[in-house]
Amino acid sequence: MKDIDKILMKSKKTLDDIEVPNELEDRLLKALEDKESNCSKSTTWNKKIIAACLIVFIISFNFNTLAYYSKKLLGYDQIMDSTLKNLNELGNGQIIGESYTFSNGVVFTLDGIMIDENQLLAFYTVSDPSGELESYSLNPRMEFKGFFKRYHMSNGHGEIDEVNNETKWIMSFDTPAFYERTLELEVYFSVNGSMYEEGNISFKLDRNKAMKSSLKQTINKTFESDGVKVRFNSILASPTTTVIEGSIQNIVELAIEQISGERIRPNDLDIELIVNGKELEKQTGSMKTDLKGITFSSSYDALPNDIESLQIRLQSLSIDKDVNSTLELSKDYEANIAGQTIKINEVYESDGSTYVTFTTDDSVVLTRVFLMIDGEKVSLKETLYAQQEKYMDGSITRKRTMHFPKVGDELELLIETMTYSQRYNEVIDIPIK
Amino acid sequence: MEVDEMVSKAKSGDKEALVKLIMLRQKEYYKLAYIYMKNKEDSLDALEDMIVILYENIRKLKKEEAFYSWSKTILVNCCKKLLKEKRKVVLIDKLDERLYEPVVNKQEDQIVLEDKLSKLSPKHQEVIRMRYYLDLDYESISNLLKIPIGTVKSRISIGINKLRESLGGDKYEGY
Repeated sequence: MKDIDKILMKSKKTLDDIEVPNELEDRLLKALEDKESNCSKSTTWNKKIIAACLIVFIISFNFNTLAYYSKKLLGYDQIMDSTLKNLNELGNGQIIGESYTFSNGVVFTLDGIMIDENQLLAFYTVSDPSGELESYSLNPRMEFKGFFKRYHMSNGHGEIDEVNNETKWIMSFDTPAFYERTLELEVYFSVNGSMYEEGNISFKLDRNKAMKSSLKQTINKTFESDGVKVRFNSILASPTTTVIEGSIQNIVELAIEQISGERIRPNDLDIELIVNGKELEKQTGSMKTDLKGITFSSSYDALPNDIESLQIRLQSLSIDKDVNSTLELSKDYEANIAGQTIKINEVYESDGSTYVTFTTDDSVVLTRVFLMIDGEKVSLKETLYAQQEKYMDGSITRKRTMHFPKVGDELELLIETMTYSQRYNEVIDIPIK
Repeated sequence: MEVDEMVSKAKSGDKEALVKLIMLRQKEYYKLAYIYMKNKEDSLDALEDMIVILYENIRKLKKEEAFYSWSKTILVNCCKKLLKEKRKVVLIDKLDERLYEPVVNKQEDQIVLEDKLSKLSPKHQEVIRMRYYLDLDYESISNLLKIPIGTVKSRISIGINKLRESLGGDKYEGY
């Protein structure tokens, strides 16, 4: 495993070396040039009225909570977004309130769940009454076990309460199949560093609480750019989230590539979901390769009630490609590999090492690169000083220096694989019934 | 001139005193803007936005000695606002199940890390950058972002774990 601390330290050094631009002072003074300071004095009685209103509001709000407390999940206000808060207010969660205590005294409580077609959300609390464990280590691994199937956890977030030594989490799982009646939650918690202990909580699923989806459509549209196909399969909008699914090439194409030695590995897909002309907040994105090929899924906030238009915009796809190209190493030489420009700025020797300074677009990373020194393949030792530069047209480039620990006469740069971003800018209109 | 004295001057509308206050700690401000904006032009834009807000609101600052933490919080907010206008936020939370090839030392480490870091949620990114790049302690980060220390700690720990996962680490080793 890579030593993250070490790389982070390197990045810190890069930042420390950055010089404050000389024009800073001028820019600050200029920004203030025609500003008038405003001398408005706020009247205190004004504030008092606001405070009074707030108190009334807080009191009435709490009464509301008390009246319905039995149907709602309490204590998750800080980590619920507005969509979940609304659903919780409407009593859409199933309250469970079952606990399991591990041998080291750590208590796991499944407070409740929320289910729709896209996901199962588990709301749980982990507390350590002894106060011996660091609160951020209260982070167990979990899985729901159904009749045949297991439902894995995918993503979530939580909050630490250091005073009471407990954490509260909302975690997303695959949604249970329609035939499930009872679910068992298996919780694995590391009790003494490496040994995992298993805890179980069983409960009956309340199907009345499962929420219906508002929009479900197949899309079946494919876009191609430079030989890479992105296909959108479906969109499913449920009360808690909206999920777009699709694939990147299919398995047959993948096999052909493997044979031809020009493999493409997608890294990151930039898709936006636009509702009534406004971008909806993205929640998560994932990609996986299996027998079906490369599939992706992107999730966004739940759709609002008043939809007039719905669009998916495919912005870009970042891929890692086998390029197997050799570059001449002379100053100011510009090469074009897979449509990307690589500019060699400088090549120099120092202390028995060769340094190559070059500039590329911000999205380009040479993921496997060697320097051929007199016919010998020398591995990259490290990359130094990456600096970004932004141009008037909005494009960003990155300049950095690669360090190869050897010197010689004949130099050639061998780029085996390279990551870069491909622009698509395609828009799909989704019909709304 | 003492800092407090300069703050009083700035409060009475002295623009030069205000700019001087920032210039005294220019590197801290520039680096703070840079960890969000990542390039010179955008960092300068954020600092410009900050100085205008400082100038218009410095009267409301009750304690002179709080000037630096107050103004840095404003700078952070300016950066976030600019970022919001400029780009979209892309969160990658699910574990990427691609096979990671052992390319230790062959990859451009720092850049790969920066790429992975910039894919974490903004909340996690900012605390990691502040802790590791600016060397700020938990308390300073908590003051700057106006969030509890516990939240700072949890975000750093979760963020680092996610980085480790995305770099092909083995978080659940032994299980």
